[in-house]
Amino acid sequence: MGVTTLRENLQKNIAAVKQLLPSEDILTYEFETADGVSCAFVYVDGVVDKQLLGELVAKPLSNMNLQNEGGRYKNTLELIQNLVLPTELKEQKKLEDIGKEILNGNSLLLVDGYPSGVIVDAKSLPMRTITEPPTDVAVRGPREGFIEDIKTNMSLVRKRLKTPALRFETLRVGKQSDTAVAICWLEGTANADVKAEVKQKIQEIQIDSVPDSSYIAAFLTPRKHGIFHSLGKTEKPDVFAAKLSEGRVGILVDGSPIALTAPFLLMEDLQSGEDYFITPFIATIFRFLRLVAVFVAILLPALYLSAQIFKLHLFPLSLTLTIASSVRDIPLSPNLEMFVVLFLLEVLKEASIRMPKYVGMSLSVVGALVLGETAVSAGFLSTPAIIIVAFSGICMYTVPEFVETGSVLRWIFLIVAGSIGPFGIVLLGAFLLYYLVTADAFGTPVLAPFSPLIIHDLRDTVAKYDILRLKERPEVLRTNNRTRIRLPRKTSGQGGRS
Amino acid sequence: MTTLSTPKTDGILSRQIAFAAAFLLPTAKLLEAPSILAKDAAGDLLFPALLHFLVQAGVLFAVLVAASRSEKPLLTRLQEKLGRGTIVLYILYGAYFVFAALLPLLDLEKYTYAVFFDTSPTVFSFVFFFFLAAFACTKGIKGIGRIADLCLFLFVFPFLALIVMSLTETDFSRLLPLFGTKFGDTMSAFTHATPYFSDAILLLPLVGNLRYEKGDTLKILGGYGVGAASTLLFLAVFFGIYGSIAPREHYAFSKIAQYFPALSTVGRIDLIFVYLLTAVLFFCTCLPLQYTVDLTCRMVGTERRTLFSALLCGALFVFVLYANRHYDFFHTLIRGHLGWIFWFVADMVPLFLLFLPKEREVKRG
Repeated sequence: MGVTTLRENLQKNIAAVKQLLPSEDILTYEFETADGVSCAFVYVDGVVDKQLLGELVAKPLSNMNLQNEGGRYKNTLELIQNLVLPTELKEQKKLEDIGKEILNGNSLLLVDGYPSGVIVDAKSLPMRTITEPPTDVAVRGPREGFIEDIKTNMSLVRKRLKTPALRFETLRVGKQSDTAVAICWLEGTANADVKAEVKQKIQEIQIDSVPDSSYIAAFLTPRKHGIFHSLGKTEKPDVFAAKLSEGRVGILVDGSPIALTAPFLLMEDLQSGEDYFITPFIATIFRFLRLVAVFVAILLPALYLSAQIFKLHLFPLSLTLTIASSVRDIPLSPNLEMFVVLFLLEVLKEASIRMPKYVGMSLSVVGALVLGETAVSAGFLSTPAIIIVAFSGICMYTVPEFVETGSVLRWIFLIVAGSIGPFGIVLLGAFLLYYLVTADAFGTPVLAPFSPLIIHDLRDTVAKYDILRLKERPEVLRTNNRTRIRLPRKTSGQGGRS
Repeated sequence: MTTLSTPKTDGILSRQIAFAAAFLLPTAKLLEAPSILAKDAAGDLLFPALLHFLVQAGVLFAVLVAASRSEKPLLTRLQEKLGRGTIVLYILYGAYFVFAALLPLLDLEKYTYAVFFDTSPTVFSFVFFFFLAAFACTKGIKGIGRIADLCLFLFVFPFLALIVMSLTETDFSRLLPLFGTKFGDTMSAFTHATPYFSDAILLLPLVGNLRYEKGDTLKILGGYGVGAASTLLFLAVFFGIYGSIAPREHYAFSKIAQYFPALSTVGRIDLIFVYLLTAVLFFCTCLPLQYTVDLTCRMVGTERRTLFSALLCGALFVFVLYANRHYDFFHTLIRGHLGWIFWFVADMVPLFLLFLPKEREVKRG
């Protein structure tokens, strides 16, 4: 049986740790105190602030007479705490725990003659600065975005919710990655059942590594193959904090700037953080605009195609004639033409996301002007088809969170429309509605508050009520604390004209 | 031997039943019923419809009175009272719901081909409806309640839009003189339209799962009143537009707004509302099939609905394929010769629920 705990001999301890962590980026720095006692740091190269370690720990120790002073202390931790400048310290004896601490970026300090090591937190992990998330740009309101470091993200949430009710519970997920996953909630506000379900599902995850929060989301989603997501996603701490404050449970994953929230309602996609910083009337107009835009984005190509093939009456006569003259000499069938144009749009979209920025401009010119213009003038594609798909593509981006789902739905509707026309569109729409009304995640119906109808919660859906009328948290979230705004009572002396 | 499963209360609310009565069931009467009523009753088509509504409201009231006599759901009490004898009722009503679904399915198929296609569709185009039906059948009563909630939005806006678009062309004087049609003809219209107006029985399985609270009767009957009022308004507008040619105007709600003056400029935007109402019609047509599957599962004692859903929908698809060539025959058969089944099973048998003993006072909800 191998060594499992530290001994008193420094070299043996170093050897044991090196045996446990044989990788070449695990470094050892040995030094001696003024009276010749051997000490050593074991750490991962590149993730430790060596200057901090040197200034706060190694330098004071090397100037000390440890044999004279050390006898007064029971263990290494007490010794270090009293002799060096204070920093975040923790004593460890078990090699397995020590290995985890070192891999998490902490340093291990070993002193000859002491059978335990001290974990020194002097992490200096490379991380990017806090910037505005590219996927959720706001004209008004906070611009901070989450980054890949979970501690920073937790502090960004804490900055907004300075209450003892804000709780974090960190779990470790991933056999190889040992990723920190933090569940966040407001005690007394969030539904305890939802929190317990989230925790249980995370604890049950058996996976080697967790590169992103989407991996966690996959395990929390009740319908693994569904095209609608069952968890809210945001990169903005203000949105995340607002959702926690509303009574949801949040999940932060180390290494991912995307935070998850549960339960999720489909209407959340339609809401924008900015809606809460403008007047309710304007916000309602914008939300309605987004809702219409999403429907247009999904259905317009399908309706155009089905009208062309199955139901010409959908168009007014003049438009029918215009379209007829445009498509007369097109060699492709309406089905194929629409598929080609939509395929081009999807390819351009994928390419413009992934290609280097300096090529992006050229791609837009090539894609939009050269391909589109040339294809029309060559008689390969018709102008209406390009207009329809382009407009649909623009409309889709009014709700960025819905783009992936919307794109898939657009394809499905197009295929159905090309096969059985408007009948298929209505049928598929009815099917999706039936699917959605019966889809619950974390005990919450995703189509609420429309189905089941919760009249109180309609105040913050398509219509956005004044903030003073949103005194209570959404009923559908089954929070333990409904009231969120307490208006001062009017007394007889207040509010009147003087 | 089959064993009866304990009936589960499947989370239906009285509001959802009221919405089903107000916004889901009326669509079934907006398709073929107007032309059938107009054929015999002409300008007096509102009277047979009103008579039907009064009869159905009476049956519904009786069912609600029976439900109000205990805090337990009606189906639970029925099973406790009848024991294994409930199987007979389940078989009777399972078969009835299949029978009640035949005419709406045939109408829906014809309607689909007429309204959704300018071209001639293949006979298999309608098969896709059965995918929806089979999917709906796999969901329980809870799904119906949720859909009823959604129908508030799916029915009210398109319905009002179509009515508003139609009003410009409506001549209500065509409904005059009142009682201008012979009594016999009015009663003939009443008899022939019976399959389209048997509503109470379609609400019975929902009420059967309801945990009754005081005030629910008023709520549900109120919902039924809203549905009846909107149907009567529609019938009045329909006859006001088409008058004497109304009997030949099938698929009424798809045609009611087609003469709106702006349509010649902007295209058939009324079809958007027609399509939305069609979605509600799909849900409404699925209802009896869902009940059949639900009753079958109760009878067999299983929660696995997929197999029964597939079998039922497959069988009905084969029936529709065969029957669409004999559309008139089946119409005559079901509305004429077999019309008594609706009266007996849908309107009379439920009255026996009144004989269920009262259990205890229901607290105010």
